[in-house]
Amino acid sequence: MEKHGLTDAAVSVRDVNRRFGRKTVLERFSVELGRGVTGLLGPNGAGKTTLLRILATTLAPDAGEVRTFGLDPSDPAQRTEVRRRLGYLPQDPGYYPHFTAFELVEYVAILKELTGRRERHREVRRVLAETDLSGAAKTKVRKLSGGMRQRLALAQALLGDPALLILDEPTVGLDPEQRMRFRALVSRLGESRTVLLSTHQTEDVAALCERVIVMREGRAVFDGTPSGLASVASGQVWLSESAPPAPVLFWRTSDGRYRTLGAAPPGGLSADPGVEDGYLLLLGNAAEVSA
Amino acid sequence: MNAQWHPSGDLITRYAAGRLDSVQVMSVESHIARCPRCRTAVPYDEGWLESSWDGIADVVDAPRTRPLARMLRGAGVPEHVATFLAATPALVRSWVVAVVAVLSFAVAAAHLAAPDPSRPLDALVPFLAVAPVLPLAGIALAYGPRVDPVHEVQAATPMAGARTLLLRALAVLVVAIALTGVATPLLPGPPGLAAAWLTPSLALSAGTLALSTRFSPLASAAALAAAWLAAVTAGGVLGPDALPLFSPAAQAAYGMAALASTLLVHLRRARLDRGEFRWKSMA
Repeated sequence: MEKHGLTDAAVSVRDVNRRFGRKTVLERFSVELGRGVTGLLGPNGAGKTTLLRILATTLAPDAGEVRTFGLDPSDPAQRTEVRRRLGYLPQDPGYYPHFTAFELVEYVAILKELTGRRERHREVRRVLAETDLSGAAKTKVRKLSGGMRQRLALAQALLGDPALLILDEPTVGLDPEQRMRFRALVSRLGESRTVLLSTHQTEDVAALCERVIVMREGRAVFDGTPSGLASVASGQVWLSESAPPAPVLFWRTSDGRYRTLGAAPPGGLSADPGVEDGYLLLLGNAAEVSA
Repeated sequence: MNAQWHPSGDLITRYAAGRLDSVQVMSVESHIARCPRCRTAVPYDEGWLESSWDGIADVVDAPRTRPLARMLRGAGVPEHVATFLAATPALVRSWVVAVVAVLSFAVAAAHLAAPDPSRPLDALVPFLAVAPVLPLAGIALAYGPRVDPVHEVQAATPMAGARTLLLRALAVLVVAIALTGVATPLLPGPPGLAAAWLTPSLALSAGTLALSTRFSPLASAAALAAAWLAAVTAGGVLGPDALPLFSPAAQAAYGMAALASTLLVHLRRARLDRGEFRWKSMA
């Protein structure tokens, strides 16, 4: 047991199904999450956001079992208790344009039951400072840049020092420097909390996640470490001077050579695989991999 | 006082303890402001200092209180509830302006209608028809993914569901009733009858919340508003009297419906945390 009373499995999802109309978005999905940063990778429609919304208690599964800190979110009282320990950055967090940054975060702080004015304001100042937004506290949200709004959305997720952080594409709109600061912040938070984030950025996964789950069509096709994901592409990454014959996945790199995934092209030299290589190969092969 | 002068340890101790007169305090403060060595010699309580900075930051950084929040606090509403309600989308200016406009038109219509001498109360029908519906528009906009841009964030907080919807609905109802109450004495006709909108208003609002335990507040409000307006129209056009829906018997029925709906909301309040989603036992 650690600071927030987490066990190694703060979150347990077993055989969860969710459909939207005729489309099955999650199919018998199971996962256990402990302390640390876990990244969810997958193409659009893979079920990442649906899974995050179920864990954030804003969406109910059709079937299966979810336990968060041992609590059952299908029970109203336990659901409220889960929400007390939760920080959630949705994919589309929304905002009230006429609010200032401070007012918007304060509003969420009230929803998170920070009722004492001084304590609430102190917490709002803290999360604005964490996300480097102290100078924009009195700026109307509509006047903030996209990156600043994204940081503001992250700020509200940090309110109350939650034990479980769920971040849906948190680095969208951030410039490289902001992304680096974000990684530093999240990796620090992951030392004592459970952080689950979805992203399309394999660099984010390589840089800050201890564990990565690749989703495809509602199922996990990989669950392991980032280096394990990279090693999926071992012996299948090549650099060559000329374009390989189709149909293999290749692209031209900045030095004018061709990087090929899969079968070796004529004259191809073997190259070290990266997380992105493994990810792309996995999406090309639906085969289930565990590393 | 020259640059070589430094306050003695005793003077600094008495300064920190607040035992100096104002002239001595000014001397010590003007010195320690430019002398780092003496400044570090002043003992301080870390907790007190932090709390003081907090207090200063709270005054400097705190957002201005919105007029609505000020009004609510004046009425005895707790500070955090007042701040929360002032952010209610349904209470924003456009809804209040719309309510005032609708009421103004209804009052004007009552005055401009050429009454049939045999049916002098018909002039009140437009007002009595629209007044009960006004809070429904506010309740429809009080909670839900389609009406609140911050809904997804809000839905993952402990205040999600019944607490948010009921607080906002109550605020909407109070504002709508207050505005309608102001308009009522401006109507022609007996004051008692002009106030006949109140119980249908309560019944429709409570009914909307009761239906919201099964459907979205938006759909619930739209369905009840449409049903009410259809009933009033049918009563006015087909009935022997334009005002059967406001008779004492009907008023009693509205009162009963309001009570029954309120009880239903209380019993099913957990189901208000549903929006577009259905939490059900996964055991």
